[in-house]
Amino acid sequence: MSTAYPLPTNLSTTTVTNTASLLRIVALGLISAAAIASRLFAVINFESIIHEFDPWFNYRATRVLASQGFYEFWNWFDPTAWYPLGRVVGGTVYPGLMATSGVIYNFLHAFHLPVDIRNICVLLAPGFSALTAWATYMFTKEMKDESAGLLAAAFIGIVPGYISRSVAGSYDNEAIAIFLLMFTFYCWIKALKTGSALFGTLAAVFYFYMVAAWGGYAFITNMIPVHALTLMLMGRFSSRLYVAYCSWYAIGTLSSMQVPFVGFQPVRTSEHMGALGVFGLLQIVAFAQLARSHLSSKQFQNLLTVSVVAMGVVGTFGFIALTYMGWIAPWTGRFYSLWDTGYAKKYIPIIASVSEHQPTAWPSFFMDLQLLIFLFPAGVILCFRELRDEHVFVIIYSVVASYFAGVMVRLMLTLTPVVCVSSAVAFSSLIDTYLDPTQPEGEEESEADSSNGTNTAATPSKKEKAKKPAASTSALNDIVTAATSQSSSKSKSKGIWGLDTRLIVIVNAIGMLSFFVFHCTWVTANAYSSPSVVLASTNPDGSQHIIDDFREAYYWLRQNTPQDAVVMSWWDYGYQIAGMADRPTLVDNNTWNNSKSHIATVGKAMSSSEEVAYPILRKHDVDYVLVIFGGLLGYSGDDINKFLWMVRIAQGVWPDEIQEPNYFTPQGEYRVDDRASSAMKNSLMYKMSYYRFAELFGGNNAMDRVRQQTMPKVGPTLDYLDEAFTSENWIVRIYQVRKEDLLGRDLKSANAFAQGKKKKKSKPVSRRKAIPV
Amino acid sequence: MWSFYTFILLIFGFVSVLDAKSSSGNSVLVILDPARQPDYSIFFNGLKEKGYDLTFRAPKDEAPVLIEDDIPSFAHVILFAPDSKHFGKDVTPQALVQLLSSQTNLLIALGQKQNLVTSLAPEFSLILPPPGSSLVSYFPERKEPPTVVPIDVPSSSKILSSSSSPVWFSGVPFALGNNPLVFPILSAPAEGFAADSEGSTADALFDAADKGGEGLWAGSQLAVAAGFQALGGARATWVGGVELFSDEFAKKEISKGVKSGNQQAAADLAAWTFQESLVLRIDSTTHHLVGTSVPKEHYTTNDVVEYVAQISRFNPSKDKWEPYSGLDDLQLEFTMLDPHIRTALPPVPGSPGKYAVTFRVPDRHGVFKFVVDYKRKGWTHLQSSTTVPVVPPRHDGYPRFLSAAWPYYAGAISTSLGFFLFSAIYLAGDPREGNLRGLRAKSTKAQ
Repeated sequence: MSTAYPLPTNLSTTTVTNTASLLRIVALGLISAAAIASRLFAVINFESIIHEFDPWFNYRATRVLASQGFYEFWNWFDPTAWYPLGRVVGGTVYPGLMATSGVIYNFLHAFHLPVDIRNICVLLAPGFSALTAWATYMFTKEMKDESAGLLAAAFIGIVPGYISRSVAGSYDNEAIAIFLLMFTFYCWIKALKTGSALFGTLAAVFYFYMVAAWGGYAFITNMIPVHALTLMLMGRFSSRLYVAYCSWYAIGTLSSMQVPFVGFQPVRTSEHMGALGVFGLLQIVAFAQLARSHLSSKQFQNLLTVSVVAMGVVGTFGFIALTYMGWIAPWTGRFYSLWDTGYAKKYIPIIASVSEHQPTAWPSFFMDLQLLIFLFPAGVILCFRELRDEHVFVIIYSVVASYFAGVMVRLMLTLTPVVCVSSAVAFSSLIDTYLDPTQPEGEEESEADSSNGTNTAATPSKKEKAKKPAASTSALNDIVTAATSQSSSKSKSKGIWGLDTRLIVIVNAIGMLSFFVFHCTWVTANAYSSPSVVLASTNPDGSQHIIDDFREAYYWLRQNTPQDAVVMSWWDYGYQIAGMADRPTLVDNNTWNNSKSHIATVGKAMSSSEEVAYPILRKHDVDYVLVIFGGLLGYSGDDINKFLWMVRIAQGVWPDEIQEPNYFTPQGEYRVDDRASSAMKNSLMYKMSYYRFAELFGGNNAMDRVRQQTMPKVGPTLDYLDEAFTSENWIVRIYQVRKEDLLGRDLKSANAFAQGKKKKKSKPVSRRKAIPV
Repeated sequence: MWSFYTFILLIFGFVSVLDAKSSSGNSVLVILDPARQPDYSIFFNGLKEKGYDLTFRAPKDEAPVLIEDDIPSFAHVILFAPDSKHFGKDVTPQALVQLLSSQTNLLIALGQKQNLVTSLAPEFSLILPPPGSSLVSYFPERKEPPTVVPIDVPSSSKILSSSSSPVWFSGVPFALGNNPLVFPILSAPAEGFAADSEGSTADALFDAADKGGEGLWAGSQLAVAAGFQALGGARATWVGGVELFSDEFAKKEISKGVKSGNQQAAADLAAWTFQESLVLRIDSTTHHLVGTSVPKEHYTTNDVVEYVAQISRFNPSKDKWEPYSGLDDLQLEFTMLDPHIRTALPPVPGSPGKYAVTFRVPDRHGVFKFVVDYKRKGWTHLQSSTTVPVVPPRHDGYPRFLSAAWPYYAGAISTSLGFFLFSAIYLAGDPREGNLRGLRAKSTKAQ
């Protein structure tokens, strides 16, 4: 047989297999290292710090878990959150993340390795990303072969779509959830392929772990049933499917109900009904199969028609009836917002106000996936070519996840794994085709090209390449053709001719891979590695300037206020205040809470005038109010820009008192300068943001750099609050709520008196009429 | 014999000098024109006898200052300068309010002229008549001018000794705004009214009320002495005319042979103002589960909790805080945003000063507060707030076996038993039986 380049012939099959598996292990190791390393930008550029908002709660909870043990954590009632409602943390949290860190912590300490819990939390996500790479490898291996698996592992290791949620310090549920997602899917595919109850059970165990770790477990809960249902509709029902699904569903559902936060949801809510329905359908189909083997076909046809109709009717009506009777909770708002992107804005402004719940912008697909987004459809089409059971899974997964990723930014995360998998399938098919040394008949010998594998940059693709020639150096019948057996056997007359053709495509492909690596590195370093607690800017000379206002302010609170001083802020900062300042907060990021009216209360206080807000503040024992103001520095994520959400949320509860149009100018503009509406100018938020702002400019026109508007020369005055602290760049401003006046006056007149203004003379309240005699 | 009485008096004097004093300090600053100081000798001597340490300062003097380095120099300030136009520059309305906020008590006399005092009065919710007005009453018929009015001491007064005879008053009456902190100590007589001059009559008053819209300055709704209990605990007393404290009025007879009540009333007013009388405090509060004695850090919903408060009252004659069980309208609130429980906090019979109540914590978790908020006119405000979280039961705090769940238990047990029996029969069953042929075929296949 002629080959495009010479192959060594004196190697035994065992040697090739062993070398290949050794190289695979080395490659996986390097991929893991790259995955971990690229996530450490945040630590190197800033420091080992917990990022953003939610991770601060997870970190705080983990500290409780590590110091007091699991049972205390389970029973932890946090009196400082949602003051004064408190939060039953054990019953309102997915404990998987904290439990994982706690286990690692205790494990290390059992070996007398005194690792700080903070470092475990910071580095947990990078560590699990290595595991994700491995899980993706296993999953893709089931789809195609090991080489595709390695490619997929390399992709998921460095793809920005996943890094965005798993850089060091991003200590969030997603950090471990993607690994669990991929591994559960792998176990499911394995169980389905082999019909093994063991793998079905394993899938259930990892499903349980997933349930304990992330609210997104509902994705698995619905993906697997949809897959099973599709297979049944395709007429692919088999005992393997039956065993795999039933073992997964029974064990998975029972164990998921052990998580306190989930409780009876798997049997009570609509989101879980699909899985239950498919479970029931499987039993019926299995029974039908059994009946078919025992009955004549005529009888069976009748039985089938009748039973299918009866079951369908009974099932549907039963579901509707149970929903109406309240046994099954209807779909939640977050679910509706998946189908109607305008739903949340209309009915649940809190959900809509979260930026990661917004629909995805198109550029972010390229930003997060780059090359893979082009390879992705190719991989899906390749899946259609073979269309084994597991390929159906990938196809369904791609369709569903693509839709969801388009609807919500944060669901980009669930799309990323399948993009990596199917891109890897596509890319490895390409490489398989063009590296396959088999020449079509009559092809002349071409010179050896062993430099293929060495001329690439130090990238994951190199590992892939390094393995590939080695695998194909001999015994191609064993390895290469095993994967592409059909094509290679048929490629006698049709195929790739010549080395030059091969080289053009291969070099191109390698070039694309290297650009991908550069892109990933750049995006990771520049876009996703900012802790958002600490901001960085660049000095004119190019050096980095750290803006540390948040921590400055939180530590001020920690050092200068009583332990039980209640701090009110918009909910975004609740977890950070609790974590860094250790003070009770009125509202925090745990917005699923049933106390939405509590958030609305804060919104109302912020958007009302001082006189209206003051009784609210006093009722909730608020001592300090914290606002984020970016006008001086041009920090656009400040409270004035979020202000309309506060107004909207407050309007939802008090439509008579707060109306959104009042905060716009008559022309419908959102302005903060002279032309701002009076409701805007009198609102507590406006006053707190711009209090004494104009003085900073010493008589010149004060300029709000975020809104690009010139502020009036005379700023707002405050009667009910005192400025307590303003951070270096004015990003965080803290106000102290004044106590009631000593003499029972309202604070406005008390303030006027203290400033020496004369009080208007009042008249006695006459209870008697003067009747002239 | 005579010397013996003197001796006894001296002893009494001594004892009173030593013992009878205020709960908040003995230094008193009197702002008063020195020329008029002898006019009030009875009042001031009475204070000195009680043990107060009087410092006099003319209104225009600069020293001694009221507040030095943000710390008040005196425990009490008497402002008897209703007619002074100018004061030392540290005496400002703002400074006087600041004194109140730093626990200094004020005794202030109003006059007819516009000055610092009249501009301060509105801050205390006192509504003064037009400048130059004074209280006029033609009843009862007497030889004194109508602006010198005898006023009966209300029998229900807690502050003034009710047994004393009527008090001579001459000065400005004032109305009280709807501030709950201010309350009348001595009301104007029902027949009295405020008028510009002695000659004016009721008709002129009506005309003024109609025309100028000044309101009706007449009747017993007007007060001539008012107490103000500031939120910080300090007290201020406003008196419409400084003559009430004068020696002249103290000696003036109400009727033949009946001495006026002025001396007693002046002393009583000073005693209340200087926190001698009607002074309460909460010594301690504690809470615990019924049956235990140690306060818990947090309670579980539906716990039965006992709350105990220890209350003392200042006894000026002994200069001592004594346990006080006389409050019968004390209340306890268990509050989270709103009071979830509001219950009487009655005194415990047999243990003086102890008030206790036992109640069941509501079935609602959250951060609750035990709140005692006792505000009665004349009495010191009692305020106490103890924060305690109420948590849901622990994971093992719920009932473990429910009788309502027996169907599920029965289901689980019967399934387990059935599985066990099935396995046992399947494994140990005799395959030679004819009707088990199918089973045998299966088991051989499995092998």
